[in-house]
Amino acid sequence: MIWAKEETLTRQEIEEIQFTRLKKTLKRIYEKVPAYQKKMDEAGITCDDIKSLDDLSKLPFTVKQDLRDTYPFGMFTVPKKELVRIHASSGTTGKPTVVGYTKNDMEMWTECVSRIACMGGASADDVAQISFGYGMFTGALGLHYGLENIGASVVPVSSGNTQRQIMYMQDFGATLLVATPSYALHIAEVAKDMGIDPSKDLNVKIGLFGGEGMTEPMRDEMHRFWGSDMKATQNYGMSELIGPGVSGECLELCGMHINEDHFIAEIIDPETGEVLPPGQRGELVISCITKEALPLIRYRTGDISRLFYEPCKCGRTTVRMENLSGRSDDMLIIRGVNVFPSQIEEVLLKIQEIGAHYEIIVDRKNHLDTMEIKVELVDETLLDSYAKLGELENKIKFSLRSVLGLDAMIKLVAPRSLKRFEGKARRVTDLRQK
Amino acid sequence: MIRQLSIFIQNEIGSVAGVTAILKENNINLRAIASFDTPQFAILRIVVDQPEKAKTLLINSGFAVTMSEAIAIELEDKPGVLHDLLQVIADAGFGVNYIYSIVFRDGKVPLIIINTDNLQATKDILKEKGYSVAEQEDIIL
Repeated sequence: MIWAKEETLTRQEIEEIQFTRLKKTLKRIYEKVPAYQKKMDEAGITCDDIKSLDDLSKLPFTVKQDLRDTYPFGMFTVPKKELVRIHASSGTTGKPTVVGYTKNDMEMWTECVSRIACMGGASADDVAQISFGYGMFTGALGLHYGLENIGASVVPVSSGNTQRQIMYMQDFGATLLVATPSYALHIAEVAKDMGIDPSKDLNVKIGLFGGEGMTEPMRDEMHRFWGSDMKATQNYGMSELIGPGVSGECLELCGMHINEDHFIAEIIDPETGEVLPPGQRGELVISCITKEALPLIRYRTGDISRLFYEPCKCGRTTVRMENLSGRSDDMLIIRGVNVFPSQIEEVLLKIQEIGAHYEIIVDRKNHLDTMEIKVELVDETLLDSYAKLGELENKIKFSLRSVLGLDAMIKLVAPRSLKRFEGKARRVTDLRQK
Repeated sequence: MIRQLSIFIQNEIGSVAGVTAILKENNINLRAIASFDTPQFAILRIVVDQPEKAKTLLINSGFAVTMSEAIAIELEDKPGVLHDLLQVIADAGFGVNYIYSIVFRDGKVPLIIINTDNLQATKDILKEKGYSVAEQEDIIL
């Protein structure tokens, strides 16, 4: 079911709405937020210079540091008494970033999440268990309000105490689960340990996943545990923009539909800041055009994605963003070519003869960038001859070249000889002098 | 035919010693060894008296190992005999992939180990020409 008519407008109608709203919001930001006013003045640009949607690219970016520098409320455009909610995201370094909502913001947030819930197959008939952690994190309360709004029965169980979660699921007959993909898999494993088969003994048929990206192998795992008929979709958002509700997958699973009447999406080259044409991969930049308390213009998300503007089979016309393929902080520039480790990983994982672990070493020799990739040999039948190992090296090289447009040196190493990581893997070493 | 182990080793100090250490600890007798000076990695080929046991031990220690067959031929210790053998193989139209040897055989003549692109046919021709082809049992002292 499509929740709102705004999801099916023509491109021209969407762009007209976006332009009107951008102008109005920009004017308020310029008047109320000294930090952004200063940026515009320094760039020599005024609100009147924005004559069409294309002029958006002339505006300065907003970055996370701007929120930290003006902690806690410096980027807000309304007085504190108009706020009805304050959230904060825990920064791993420095001050947290604080976000606020007016009464209208709450309505708009609820509307955006309602749409996303419907995209993922939710309806008023669902019993929705929310296993995101409640608190300063926007995820749980965002989904909570949206699901209540469409008429679902919300069970705000929060995260943790997994066995109790499973008991509620059984006893209340939950049909919908909101969780991070990794927690959803964990719940399923614990259920199995308890002698409960999630695909048969539980009634969860819809998963609205978020908080972290869900890769396709993870989605396959989800189906393996929760049943092949589970509608397992993911949605995207970040607290600086609103929380969940920026975009979500529909059941066609061909990218996440962005709520374009509230957010304008651009893809930029993270190095130069240039806007890239549709279909090209780069950093996602979002402008909030309807928020009152904290409308950020051209906010650099740091997430790498692509945009597709063709209307979707589901009937929605809103632009779709590809499932995230990494963070701009991870991007490497090798001989002028932007390379994301995730692209390399994608190629390597398809090659059966080598293992899942790898290391990338970037260096500069005779003023030329070099990239060496270490991979573990797992198919020992190739040890018959040097020729077979040489063929494997060439196969890896060729696959990488066709994806990256770059040549890499491939170094085969013995199985289990590369470093293993318990937390976030650090697979790239850049030896070039910055 | 005899069984040989091919082991993937990186071009690093001590990598061959890492293999021989495991053989020594487990009292496995090395009959022949061959490797070449390649820039990054090498296939180390060995012939041992207990190939299955050695393979399991090496794999458990993290090595990539494969077991395959090769032909071992008895050759007298005098000039020209290796040439005659190779000529037979060339005349039959087979390519030689690699050669190494077992020299110490407690009074018996040395063995030349050969791998070609058609092992069985090569072996048949050599036998036909009167060469003595060794089997796995023959290499255990």
